[in-house]
Parts: sequence; C-alpha cells; structure tokens
Amino acid sequence: MTTDKQPIQHKDADYEIDTLTNDRLLKDHEYDGIRELDNELPSWWKWLFIVTIVFAIVYVVRLWVFHADDLVQKKEFDKEMVDAKASSAAKQTEVFELKILTDEVSLASGQETWTKICSVCHLLDGGGLVGPNMTDKYWIHGNKIEDLFRIMETGVIEKGMISYKDQLSQKQRLQVASYVLVKLQGTTPATPKAPQGDLYE
Amino acid sequence: MELQKFNYDNKLSRLFLFATVFWGLIGMLVGLTIAFELIFPHLSSGISWLSYGRIRPLHTNAVIFAFVGNGMFTGIYYSTPRLLKTSMYSELLGKIHFWGWQLIIVAAAITLPLGITVSKEYAELEWPIDIAIALVWVVFGLNLIMTMVKRRVQHIYVAIWFYIATFVTVAVLHIVNSINIPVSLFKSYPVYAGIQDALVQWWYGHNAVAFFLTTPYLGLMYYFVPKAANRPIYSYKLSIIHFWALIFLYIWAGPHHLLYSALPDWAQALGVVFSIMLIAPSWGGMINGLLTLRGAWDKVRESPVLKMFVVGITAYGMSTFEGPMLSLKSVNALSHFTDWTIAHVHIGALGWNGMITFGMIYWLVPRLFDTKLFSVKLANAHFWLATTGMLFFAVPLYFAGFTQSLMWKEFTAEGYLKYPNFIETVVQILPMYYLRAFGGTLYITGVIIMMVNVLKTVKSGKFVEKEEDQAPALQIHGEDKGHRFIESKPILFTILSLVAILIGGIVEFVPMFMVKNNVPTISSVQPYTPLELEGRDIYIREGCYTCHSQMIRPFRSEVERYGDYTKAGETVYDHPFQFGSKRTGPDLAREGVKTGPIYKPDSWHYNHFMDPQKMVAQSIMPPYPWIIKNSLNTGSTAKKIKVMQTLGVPYPEGYADKAVEDLKKQAAGIAQGLRDGGIDVADDKEVIALIAYIQRLGTDIHKK
Repeated sequence: MTTDKQPIQHKDADYEIDTLTNDRLLKDHEYDGIRELDNELPSWWKWLFIVTIVFAIVYVVRLWVFHADDLVQKKEFDKEMVDAKASSAAKQTEVFELKILTDEVSLASGQETWTKICSVCHLLDGGGLVGPNMTDKYWIHGNKIEDLFRIMETGVIEKGMISYKDQLSQKQRLQVASYVLVKLQGTTPATPKAPQGDLYE
Repeated sequence: MELQKFNYDNKLSRLFLFATVFWGLIGMLVGLTIAFELIFPHLSSGISWLSYGRIRPLHTNAVIFAFVGNGMFTGIYYSTPRLLKTSMYSELLGKIHFWGWQLIIVAAAITLPLGITVSKEYAELEWPIDIAIALVWVVFGLNLIMTMVKRRVQHIYVAIWFYIATFVTVAVLHIVNSINIPVSLFKSYPVYAGIQDALVQWWYGHNAVAFFLTTPYLGLMYYFVPKAANRPIYSYKLSIIHFWALIFLYIWAGPHHLLYSALPDWAQALGVVFSIMLIAPSWGGMINGLLTLRGAWDKVRESPVLKMFVVGITAYGMSTFEGPMLSLKSVNALSHFTDWTIAHVHIGALGWNGMITFGMIYWLVPRLFDTKLFSVKLANAHFWLATTGMLFFAVPLYFAGFTQSLMWKEFTAEGYLKYPNFIETVVQILPMYYLRAFGGTLYITGVIIMMVNVLKTVKSGKFVEKEEDQAPALQIHGEDKGHRFIESKPILFTILSLVAILIGGIVEFVPMFMVKNNVPTISSVQPYTPLELEGRDIYIREGCYTCHSQMIRPFRSEVERYGDYTKAGETVYDHPFQFGSKRTGPDLAREGVKTGPIYKPDSWHYNHFMDPQKMVAQSIMPPYPWIIKNSLNTGSTAKKIKVMQTLGVPYPEGYADKAVEDLKKQAAGIAQGLRDGGIDVADDKEVIALIAYIQRLGTDIHKK
C-alpha cells in the first residue's frame, strides 16, 4: 500500500539497511508497510531500568526487614509530633495579663482573626447567625474580657462553639476578644440577630 | 503463492471517528462548565443536575470512555485488519460494539447528572450499565481475537499486543471493581468496604489510566506514527521489553493513590516501588515513538499530524515521569488532594490522549474520504491552540497545588496552623482557577476548529466504504523462536498477557482481604443508623466526594486541622468508601467530632447547605436548595439494611423492619433541635438525613 521506498541491499545479505539512519532493518518484519529496526536497547535506558529495580529492592528491604524510621508511617508520624512539641513549647508557656488591648496593632490582629475564623458563625459585621450577635449589649456568658477569653478556650459545644485553644494562641484570643469589645460593640450590623442572654449595661 | 482478495471495511472507523469528535466536544464542554462553576459557585443556579458534584463524574467519564474510548476504537478498527491482512471477523459484532457503546454513553449522560452513581471514580455507573459495559466489551474482544485467528500474516505486530493487553485487563478491572449488590434498579452497594474497597478501586482507577488511556494509545502510536512519518519502528527489541515490563508492573502501582492513608505500610510500599520501576518501561514507549521519527524531522515541521504526535508523545513522557515522582511519599505528602493531581492528569489527557487522537483524525479523515485535508493552516492553528491551552491549563494548577499544600502545612512559630481556616487557602489560588478555565477555553476552541476542518474535508471527498487488498493465505513456518513464537500464537499471547496482569492484583488483594491485622478492629465502630445511611446515600448522590476527602493523613498539620488521623478499622462499614481524591473543600472525616477542631452545629450545616456564602463569604461551594426542599424517600431503607446485612454489616436480626421507625425517631430529634434554633424545617427533609450523617463522621472512636 504505502511502502514507497526500496531500501538498498548491503554487503550483509541477511539485513537491509535503513538509508536515513544506517540502522539495520529486520527481515520479515513488515506490517501494512511498517518496518522495524534491529536497534539494541539504549544503554542509558537499560541502566535507568536497573537503577529503579535496585531502588525498589532497597526500599522494600528497608521497610519490611529493617522497619526503617523514615518508612514506617506510625514512626514517622510520632516523630513529627514529638519534634513539633519541642519546637513550639511557646504554645504552653506564654503568659498574658487578661486586660483589654486598645492599641491599633492588636485590634487589627484581632480583626484578622475575626475575619478568618469567628465570622464563619458570627458574621463579618458581628450581627450573628449561628452564633449570637456580638454587637448588642446582651450576653449569654458574660461581657468581660475574661468571659470571652474563657469561652474561646472551653467552647460551648452544645451550641456549636468549639474550643479554640489549639487553633488560636492566647495572644490571638486576647486580641480578638478585645476587637469584639472595643470595635464591634455598639455598631449596627446589616442583619442583627435577636438578642440572646442577659442585658449588661 | 496464490493471493487472496479481501476488503477493509471503513464504515466502522468512520462511525467511531465521528463519535470521538462529538463526545470529545461534549466531554470537554462539561469540563469547562465545572471549571467555571469553581469560579462562579452560583452558576448551577440551584439546579441539581448541573451541580459540580454531579457533573464532574460526567466530565471524567465522558472524556475517558466517550472521547478516548471512541478514539481508541476508531484506530483499532482501522489498523487491526490492515496489520493482520484480513477483514474484521464480524461486521455485525462491530456494529453491536459501536451502538452498544454509544448507548452506554447516553445512559451515563442521563444517569450521572441525576445522581445515580456508585461514587467510585471512573466506575460511577450503576450496575445495569456496568453489565452492559461488560457485554459490549466481550463483543469487542471476541471480534479482536477472532480477527487474529483468521489473519493472513504469521506474526502479530506490537500495536496488536497492546490492543490485546487492553482488552484482557480492562475486562478484569471492570468486573472485579464493579461487583455490587443491587438495592434497586438504580442503587447498589459494592461488596468491598472501606480501605479494602479503596484498594480495589485504586487498583482499578490507576489501571484504567494504564489500560484504557495508555496501552491502547501506545498501540495507536505504533501504527499511526510510522505510517504518518513513513519510517520504521526504532527498536523491535525495545517493543518487546517495554511491552511486557509495562503491563506486568503497571497493575501493582494502584496503592500509590493511598499513600499516607489507612492502607498498611507494606501495600503502600508496593505502590511506591512499582511506580518507580515503571519509569523505564513507560519511557520505552516514548523512545520508540520519538526515535521512529529520526530522519523525518523535516516532515515534522510541515505536518500538523506529526507535530501533534510529537507533542502527544512528549506529554506521555512527561506524565509518566511525573507519575512515579508523585508516588514517592515525600512528594505525595505535598501533592495529594491538591490541584497538582488535576494538572498531572490533564498533561496525560490533553497532551497524550488529545494530541494522539487529533493527529490520528487529521491523518485518517483524508484517507477515509479519498481527498486532501481541507486546510493545513487550520490544523496548525488547532495544534497551537491545543498546546497553549494545555499549558494555560496545567501550569497554573501546578502552582495552585503547590501553594495550597504549603499553606495547609504551614505553622506559626508558636506552633499554631498559620491558615486554620481552609477558605484562606482557597481564596489564595482562585486566580489560578481563572487561568485554568482560560486554558480550557483555548483547548476547546481548537477542537471546534478541528470539527469545521473535518466537516469541510468530509464534504470535499467521497467516502471509501471498502478498500481492497490481497495477500496469500496464512502459513505458519515452524522455525520461530523466542518472542517470535508467541507472536505467531495470538491465543497464547492473550493468555500470557492475562497472567502477567493478574499477578500484581492477586498479591495485593489476597493478604489485604485474608489477613486480619491489615484492618485492625476497633470495637466502638458501629454501623450507621438508618437515617445516617440514607444521609450517606445523599452524600454519594451529590458527589460530595468530588470536593471533600474523608481521609485524615498522619501528619501534624492534618491532625491539628481536622483531628486524629483516619484508622483502617473505622472504615469497615463503608460500602463504598468515601475517601475522595481531591480537597477543594476541607476534609470531613471527623466533621462530627464535637471536641474536634472543625465541628459545626446542625444549624450551621443547615444554613450552609442552603447558602454556603452566607456562612463562609468566600466559599466556592454551590448551594443545595433541593436537599432542603426534598422529602426523604424511605421506600428502600429496609432493603438497604438487608443488603448491608448480606455484606456483613452487623445490624441485629430483623432490624430492617424497625429501620424506618428508628429513622423517623432520629430525624424528629434533629429537626426539633433546628426548630428550637429558629429554623423552620419538617422532620422528613433530606437535609436532616445528610446532617445526621455528617455529624456521625469520625465520632465512633471517641465513644467510650
């Protein structure tokens, strides 16, 4: 059909030679005009294959026979957790005085946390949705900085407020509580949730 | 020797070719739609059958089975008779294959948007369609094998080897992964559960890539590249070694989809090392493709067909190197569940499958219609649109995957997650989603240009229904040795291929199912309540798994973000498993754990399903108003419990009769809670069941 080229016969009678590459064509290998060359496997390819096989053997022996620390999932995880504990000791030891922060830098950080986390339930403007309205003067658990700080630590799980003690540092909790008391209190949200709890004047 | 005359029938190739182009466009348009839905979450406008979770499976199925599937059949039905110097065994079987396959595609296009799904990726179709696939596949295989039997050439060519491997392996994969027990005509549960189901699924899923997207296309490459370039195959020896190595090794690599999961270490290790050992066999195909073009590079510059082949084969080489790298645990720790995977598969789909298909079409159409291609210029334009489209698609997603993963893992100096709220990491990569949609648009524009070119070419020519050829009858010479021997014995060749692809699966499955400590029992893990089970089926129906994983990996960053990592024993009643493969939203494996870091109250979930942006302003999740509106159908609840009992889920004897009663009791409790919080909802709404399921997730191991 489409074989249009007659390869030149070389001295070696068993083979024909492909004129464009000087490689040997295989005799008797022709399928719908497609011929095949008798080239060897490229040696870099053979080596690549061998190296990957060696890698495989070493890998499974290290895991199955020697239970290497970096291959056993449980050991890897435990080590990561131990290392983390050592490097972030600050998490346990930081101490703060529970006082409303009023400097703009702290309040800005507080707002950032509010936007990232608290607004999911209390809305960006504090008007409340799943969580209570944080702009009005009604409080379920008290309106002091300690109260807000404590609720963030313990959560109110039956109402859906989880504990943030593992997600927010004490400093962050203080900042966001200050942001609520200094910035959100007294503002008028777009869709305020009805008052909940007791009135604190 | 007397020459026998016979015909090549081009009708089947023509049908499959048109189907390839048509379904290709549809599959890609669905892909583009979901790309835009990720940017504009309200695009589906509350229409259930347009929502992301339902049509993402339609996109993957359409591209794999409709576009690539029809593409492979186009090439197989064209090349097989020519390579074997005979007509196909049966025109009737060919027709049954074609129309059967198209009907299956139509059935998929109807059922998937309706939420009729098993939820196992690329095997979502429900059991009646699964049976149809198996039957049509056997028709195809029978035709292929019988054509080999009545061939006129002594040896079968390497392209056919790959077709054989495709036939036997896809048959085995499809049947083993689709063993489900029906609840009704449109609902079934897989016999495997949890981590075992996941192992079977990813053995299937990975090898769907290997034996549906790779081996048949290598076969096409071995036919169409030398034909189009008029050059001999670079190395016959390489063909032999890379063929057998490829099919033997590929089947083992599935567990690399489950690295750092509840899968036992030994199985994960097999996934790693067999993936690494696949580099050379895969590249053997690339070398044999590219080096076949030696001496013809001047032609490559002029021919859009060869240009597409070169880019296609190069994309194959890239993704078969990247795949093994992604299978290294350290890389996978970063890449898994991110857009990196999406980028990776699209280098394969857009580059390898797309370009080889397009090149083949541009080569075939003028030959089938005895004319010249209408416009080489348009074909070149298509080539550039496809190439740049692919880059605009993949490069931003690589960046997105990398960025998001690093954000998930970043800690502050004090030891807190730097980005504890998942949405921050989504907002960060949204611009990349815009670029991806742009890349997809370019790629599809190219396909539309191809359609015009093909139509114009078809109009300018006259269809060649049959091509005559002649060859002497088959005479087997006895002197064959080594591989030449099995090349002259197609049935033996088929059996040997089957043996080669069975070994890996058996070695992985038998211990996983027989050895008990691979899935250690956790006594507090209990079956789902009927309401939770119904909720789970809604979760499956809506394709929640397309965006949410349920597999917390054993990393500090994940344990801090989501809670304790997932244990194998927690998944034993999950028919099917719901680990997911992509986190467009956060992991939900411990969503219900009240003391965990991501717990939300029922009312939050209710509001979130109704209007996600109300709860998370920048969320890209679509709303689910129909779940709020629809009443839960409890008609098959009892049957579902019975099927679960058949599968070994330990509900008490006779519990099916009490199931609906229990379901109503639990639903009333949840609904009352919501009403107490001011939400107006009836007991019998679907959302109640879904909330029940979500709040159950991950809680069992915390029970005392």
